[in-house]
Parts: sequence; structure tokens; C-alpha cells
Amino acid sequence: MTHFIQTLISSLSLGSIYALIALGYTMVYGIAKMLNFAHGDIIMVGAYTVIVAAFQLGMPPLVAALMSIVVCVLLGVLIERLAYKPLRQAPPLSVLITAIGVSYLLQNLALLLFGSEQKAFPTLITLPELHLGAVVIDGITLVTLAATAVIMVGLTLFINKTRVGKALRAVSEDKEAAELMGISTNKTITLTFAIGSALAAVASIFYGATYIYIKPTTGAMPGIKAFTAAVFGGIGSIPGAMLGGILLGMIEQFSKTYISTLWSDAIVFGVLVLILVVKPTGLLGRQIKEKV
Amino acid sequence: MMLDVQSLNVYYGKIHALKDVSFSVDEGEVVALIGANGAGKSTTLKTLSGLLRSRTGSITFCGEDITHCESYRLLGKGLAHVPEGRRIFLQMTVQENLEMGAYIHKRVAEGDLEDVFRRFPRLKERRNQIAGTLSGGEQQMLAISRALMSHPKLLMLDEPSMGLAPILVEQIFQIIRELHESGSTILLVEQNAEMALQIAQRAYVLESGRITLSGTGRELIESDSIKKAYLGGS
Repeated sequence: MTHFIQTLISSLSLGSIYALIALGYTMVYGIAKMLNFAHGDIIMVGAYTVIVAAFQLGMPPLVAALMSIVVCVLLGVLIERLAYKPLRQAPPLSVLITAIGVSYLLQNLALLLFGSEQKAFPTLITLPELHLGAVVIDGITLVTLAATAVIMVGLTLFINKTRVGKALRAVSEDKEAAELMGISTNKTITLTFAIGSALAAVASIFYGATYIYIKPTTGAMPGIKAFTAAVFGGIGSIPGAMLGGILLGMIEQFSKTYISTLWSDAIVFGVLVLILVVKPTGLLGRQIKEKV
Repeated sequence: MMLDVQSLNVYYGKIHALKDVSFSVDEGEVVALIGANGAGKSTTLKTLSGLLRSRTGSITFCGEDITHCESYRLLGKGLAHVPEGRRIFLQMTVQENLEMGAYIHKRVAEGDLEDVFRRFPRLKERRNQIAGTLSGGEQQMLAISRALMSHPKLLMLDEPSMGLAPILVEQIFQIIRELHESGSTILLVEQNAEMALQIAQRAYVLESGRITLSGTGRELIESDSIKKAYLGGS
């Protein structure tokens, strides 16, 4: 039983990281109707920013974390402006290829700057472990869970209750109609990339704190997994990305613990295939019906 | 003159969709743009609201050249467009749709919501319902109300009667009449020429992208070519 609860908690923590990244994929897809495959690499940039800020610039942990968020937001917005905006009218395939190109560009820049060997992530906070009977929870796990919960509630409120959040949903549903309401599609896309990148930066901090070692390809695997999570939950759906991320983390962690570490990825992707066969739009994805 | 359109030429790739289209709308008028399917009526409205670009020609609205104005800035200038097919946000609630109509005002005036709900009690009953669950007629009323939320100077309606039962068509035209009586300026695009000509002070007839006839609503109703082409008379 202790073992089960321990696994459950670590799977929720992993799932939180996936969910934070998946939100970026799903929001960008919802608004700009594109798959931003460079999104995973934003995590890597976020993690390296923390390393540089903490070790080379000697910043205190909180400042390093904030710098990481700022750098990722600026990078995300810059990538959109330079690489994707000129392709607004281009066929989706060109945009997809460009996104893959940006992903390789970021990985290779990191390789050039930091070399191929792993770098250690700094300890940002030291929190005491929490002992609940025989169950031991890491401080960082607690922070991850709490922060993700706060972010998810905040994002949900923002999307559903604020004027700008509603405008975001309007653009995601019908760009032309939104423009007729005085909502700028371009500004909305910029905002979406900024939010997605900020969430990726937060994910990178928790990822680094949990897995310690960072290398230029660090973003690739969590990126793909989070993308899977977004599809799993129904791409374009914000609650879907949250649910998909958490479930994916649980499936992965439980397979690792109870079945096999080697097989866990195969099981994760196998479940995805199954879900998509049964429900092609993902768990919470909606088939959009048009009424004429 | 509130809206002055001078020799617009619009292309879809190589297809010349609007050919030297010129017309005008005065303050307080209801002007109808009638014509068959594919004549260029919706193209004209989309060009006016910046969703399409004209190759040549000019659009002047309230004395300002808006030919190259970005689409999302036009509502702020007072030009509202209720597009063909209504295009309400189907996954948002009725009230959220209305809030989006007032997006440019930052805050939704409670009085404006009340005005809409007084005019359309059905929308009040359904204010928290997802707009996709509304009937076609209710969706059209929502689309018109949403456009009115910003208090536009000119309201452009694209086929508001399309796909509606005759009794609802009558209702929609009654609303247009009321809006006109309360001082609104309206540019109405319609395939239902008879209804449109009854309500409009002036009208233009579009045929294959060209304006072929214009005159007062009454003149056009009585014109033989209109009777033959659109009103089913002999």
C-alpha cells in the first residue's frame, strides 16, 4: 500500500510537469491551429537559463527561476514573430516543418553553447521531506504539485472569467468573427505563445529539480510526451491537456513501477493509440459541428 | 455621407469578383444590396470590413479612408458586420457572445445587456446556455444583438434571413425596421429581394460582380427587370 501511494504521488508530480507543457501545445494549437514542435525545447532553454543564472551569474534561486520564465517568454514570442508569423497564410505542412527546424536550431545552439555533456541543475530550494506514516514525499514534489494546482486553477479562471481570456476562446473558435469583434488575431497569438512559454519555463524548473541533469536534447522527450498528453486529452482543449498530462504521468509511472521500466514508453503510446481508436478527438476533445 | 465606396476591384486569385463597385450610404438610411448567389454581395461586405483586400478603389467611412485598415480596428471606428452564416461563438454562452460584442469597450454596460434582453426575451432565458444549442432564428438574433453591443454607426447585415422559416424572416425584418426607426444606419445584403426592397430607402443590384441598377426601394420594386429576375413576377 505504501508502495502504491508513493508511486501515485510521484506519478502526479511527473504528470504535473507533462500537463504544464501540454497546455502550451494545446493553447497554441487552439489559437494558431499549428503544432509547435519547438515547444519541448523551450523547456531545455528554461533549464539552461536557471543553470547559467544560478551558477555563472550567482543569482539567488527565486531570481534564477524568474529569469528562466522571462527568457522563455521572450524566446517563445520571438520564435512566433520570426518563424511562424510570416507563414500565417502558408499550408500547415510548411509551418510544421518550420517548427521542427526551430526545434533543431535550439538544440544545436545549446550544443554549441553548453557542449554535449550533462550539466547539473542547481538546488533551488531545500525543503524537508514530508513523512505521512511510511510514505515519504520530497519537498520538490510537494512544490510541484501545489504550484501546478495553483497554475491550473488560475489559468482556468483566466480563460473562463476574464475579458482577455474569453477573447482567446473567441479567436480559437472563429478568427474572422473575432476580428469583427475588434479582437486582434495577431496579438492573441502572441499572448498565447507567451503564456505557453511561461508554463514551459515553470515545467523546466520542476523537471530540472526532479531529474537534476540537463543536456541539449533534454526537452525532446518530455516535449513528445506532453504533446501526446495534449492529443490524449483532446488537442485544443485546456482541461483536456491538464487531464491528459496527469493521466500520462500516471500510466508511465505505474508501468515503470509495476510492469517494466523498459516497456513504460511503449505502454504510454499504446494507450494513446487505443484512446484515439475509441475516441479520435481525445478524451475531452470536441467535434466541432457547424450550423449553417 | 457615412460610407462612400469608390470603384472597388476585388480578386480571388484570378477571378475578378468585384468590378468597379461604387455605392454610398447616408446617415440614417437603410440601403440594400441585392443580387443572386455569387453576385458578389458578401464579397463586398467582407472587403468593407477588411477581411478581403481590394486591388484598387477606395472606402471612406465617416470621412476617414479605411481602405487599408486592419479588420479588427474597424469596429472601434463604428463599422459593425454581422457576417453570413451568423458566425456566433457556438461554444461560448449567449452572454459571453454579447460580451465579445462589447470587447472594444473593455467593460460591458449593464444597460446594453438589458436592452438586448428587453428586445429578445428568448436570449435572456438562455443567457447562460451555450450558443450552439440555440435555434437558427435565435442565433441570428444573437448575432445582431452582439453587433449592437458596440453601438456601431453603421450596421452591415449579410443575409440575415438566410435559412430561416418565413415567420422568423418576418421577425428579423421587423427588427431591422425598428433599428432604422431608432436612427440606426444599415447596409443590408439580401437574396430575399422583395423583403429587402420594401424596407430599404435605396438599393443597388449586383450582377456578376458589377452594380447594374440602383434607385430607391420603390423604383426597383416596380422595375420590370427586377420583377423578372428577383421577384418572380411577369
